[in-house]
Amino acid sequence: MSTPTPLTCAETFRRLDDYIDRALPLDERRQVEAHLADCLVCAREYRFEQSVIDNLRGVLRRLDVPPDLSRKVAEQLEAAKNKGS
Amino acid sequence: MPLLGAAYRLAANLVADRAEAEDVVQEASLLAFRAFDSFEPGTNFRAWFFRIVTNCCYARHRQRGRRPQTVDFDDVPDLYLFQMTQGAGLYADTADPAAAVLVKIGVDQIIMAIDALPEEYRTAAALYFVEEFTYEEIAETLNCPVGTVRSRLHRGRKLLQKALWAMVEENHN
Repeated sequence: MSTPTPLTCAETFRRLDDYIDRALPLDERRQVEAHLADCLVCAREYRFEQSVIDNLRGVLRRLDVPPDLSRKVAEQLEAAKNKGS
Repeated sequence: MPLLGAAYRLAANLVADRAEAEDVVQEASLLAFRAFDSFEPGTNFRAWFFRIVTNCCYARHRQRGRRPQTVDFDDVPDLYLFQMTQGAGLYADTADPAAAVLVKIGVDQIIMAIDALPEEYRTAAALYFVEEFTYEEIAETLNCPVGTVRSRLHRGRKLLQKALWAMVEENHN
C-alpha cells in the first residue's frame, strides 16, 4: 500500500465532517487518518467534534417512546382498513 | 415496531412537543397506509415513511404560523463549541470535554436547540442526529441532492453548536 499524500491542517479540516460521517473516498480517508496520527492539534479537534456528535446521538436515542404508541397506530390502521373494506 | 419509535423521536425533534409528536406519528402512519400504492417496492421504505413524517411536521409548523428563519452563518465560527469550551477553561479538566459540556444540557434543551434551527437545517440535523441517517438516506428522504445535504448538515451543526453553548451558559447563570 502506497503512502498517502500528506494533507495540511486546513485541507484536513475541510474533510473533517465527511471523515466523521464516513463519507470520504478511501484514499482521502487514509490521508486524513495519516494527518490525524501526526498532528495533535487536529486530532484534538477531531476527537471533540466526534464526541459532540456521539453524545448528542446518545442523549436523543434515550428519548422515551410512549408505550402505547404502537397499539394506537395499529388500532387506527385497523379502523381505516375496516372503513375501506 | 421500531420504525414507529424512530418516527416518534424524529417528530419530537421536529415539532419540539412530545404529545404533538405522537399525533404526528399517528397521522403519518395513516397517510402512509392510504398512500402505500405510491411506494415503489425495492426502494427505501424508511426514507419514504420519514418523508411523510417530516411533511406532517412541516404542516404543523405552518399551522403555527412559524416564519422561515434567516441566519447569518458567517457569525458562527468553525469549531464553535470547541473554542468556547477551551475559552471557558473547561478543556483541560477532563479526558472528554465535549461530554463534560453536553452533560450540562438536558434532552429537552437539545430538542429545543434542534427545533430552533431554520427548517431546511432542522430536518437534516434531526435525521442525522436522531436516526443516524447517511447523507444518501437524508437526500432520499428530503428529495434533494447529496451535496445539498452535506452543506445543510455542515451549517446546521455550526448553528446547533452555537445554540447548545448558549444553553450551557444559560444553565450556568
